[in-house]
Amino acid sequence: MDEQPKLRPSGSKLAYIPGAEVIGRIDPWWGLVVLVIGIMVILFTVRADPFWNIAVFVGDGILVTILITVSSFALTLVVGLIGGLGRLARNPFLHGIATLYVEIVRGIPLLVQLIWWYFAFPTVVQQIGEWLNISVIANYQANPIFTAIMGITVCYGAYMSEIYRAGIQSIPKGQTEAARSLGMTHFQSMRHVIIPQAVRVVLPPVGNELIALLKDSCLVSVVAVADLTRRGREFMAVHFNPIEVWTMVALIYLVMTLLLARLVAWIEKRSHFER
Amino acid sequence: MEPIIHIENIHKHFGKVHALRGVGLDVHKGEVVVIIGPSGSGKSTLLRCINHLEKYDVGRIVVDGIHLDSAQNINAVRQEVGMVFQLFNLFAHLTVVENLTLAQRTVRKRSKDESEKIALDLLEKVGIPDKAQAYPIQLSGGQQQRVAIARALAMNPKVMLFDEPTSALDPEMIKEVLDVMLALAKEGMTMVVVSHEMGFARAAANRMILLDEGVIVEEATPDKFLTSSNERTRLFLSKVLHM
Repeated sequence: MDEQPKLRPSGSKLAYIPGAEVIGRIDPWWGLVVLVIGIMVILFTVRADPFWNIAVFVGDGILVTILITVSSFALTLVVGLIGGLGRLARNPFLHGIATLYVEIVRGIPLLVQLIWWYFAFPTVVQQIGEWLNISVIANYQANPIFTAIMGITVCYGAYMSEIYRAGIQSIPKGQTEAARSLGMTHFQSMRHVIIPQAVRVVLPPVGNELIALLKDSCLVSVVAVADLTRRGREFMAVHFNPIEVWTMVALIYLVMTLLLARLVAWIEKRSHFER
Repeated sequence: MEPIIHIENIHKHFGKVHALRGVGLDVHKGEVVVIIGPSGSGKSTLLRCINHLEKYDVGRIVVDGIHLDSAQNINAVRQEVGMVFQLFNLFAHLTVVENLTLAQRTVRKRSKDESEKIALDLLEKVGIPDKAQAYPIQLSGGQQQRVAIARALAMNPKVMLFDEPTSALDPEMIKEVLDVMLALAKEGMTMVVVSHEMGFARAAANRMILLDEGVIVEEATPDKFLTSSNERTRLFLSKVLHM
């Protein structure tokens, strides 16, 4: 009596391929993350001075970079939604404001924007304060981290607005018509029908923005924020070893972006749906 | 008796195209009106004016005593008027039962339990109770259209509008949708149907209307309509009946 081999896990709809379950569940790109971390570990063990010393020195910079990335990105999601809805608004005033914002911000390099917010904006605020004779405003001083988060949010919010706009526009018009024909208001159909579908559409580009934002956050190092890049420069200014410092900084950024890419891929996979 | 839908001298332009040129129509409670006409004749546009998915330039539409003249009135009318579309337009991110409960909960403010009970009863009625947890993509066209009908019925509409409900379906699925529509007509639902399904018209319609170039060419009971002596009606019928 030959027994049917129990190879196929019960309940699985996938065709059975020997060994596929084990490999299939793990994203092969994790290998690259492991490789890069491996290189770092080797550098730390083989030459603790300077590599380990660099890593310890820039440690607080890594935290600042993560702080700026996470907070600006969270704010960007909100600003982008408002901007995207503004771009789609039938009200010409709202549409005009949103379009003006996107067009202006998109046309100025992020570095120049950050420098403007840090060096020019406080003076503008101070002069307005003097003119209004309000001492709190007249004595306004720029807080580097706050300014950096604001600057990045304003810039990336504009890009995000366009992503949201395109995502919302990609949802067939019939979805809105069906919702409205059932008596739902414009707001209700946006909230319950259009935006939930648009979010799934925009996940890949939004994920790209998150990774791009992490990398662009190094620009804040020019406006007195002690992020990873600036801490690297400070270390080099003392020890004059550019190869080691910038290799280390590059590897740390790489690990962070690779991890983010895995996170984005995982979220995308989980929220995938067919239409 | 007051008609439940009163349409008076409707004009509608799409850019330079004069799509509706002074259409007037009264539909009484319990009536089934079937509108036919060549493509571009304005039949879908007329239907979409009734629940204001399409704005009209001139004229007056009153549904169940509510004049379509303000945003509040438009939403009030839409709650009383169900619509079924050519391409079903089910909410792609929601299950069948969620498709049926969403508007009940947000617009009618029914509880989760109550709206789900109504949804399941209606799915039973349209013959697919076993698909409650499926997503629209997992259903056939005919099943999707039956869900769409159930979704509209869940709002307890006084009038149902059908915009070419079977023209996107494979031939073998048309009957299952028409059967649901026939049952609905037998129950006394007021229906305005844009469709070239002559079998349905013959079986269910109280009146048939031929619309061409934005005007009503002929309006008659199915018997009279199908044996009409009007030149344009006969020409059009010969095309849809493949005679």
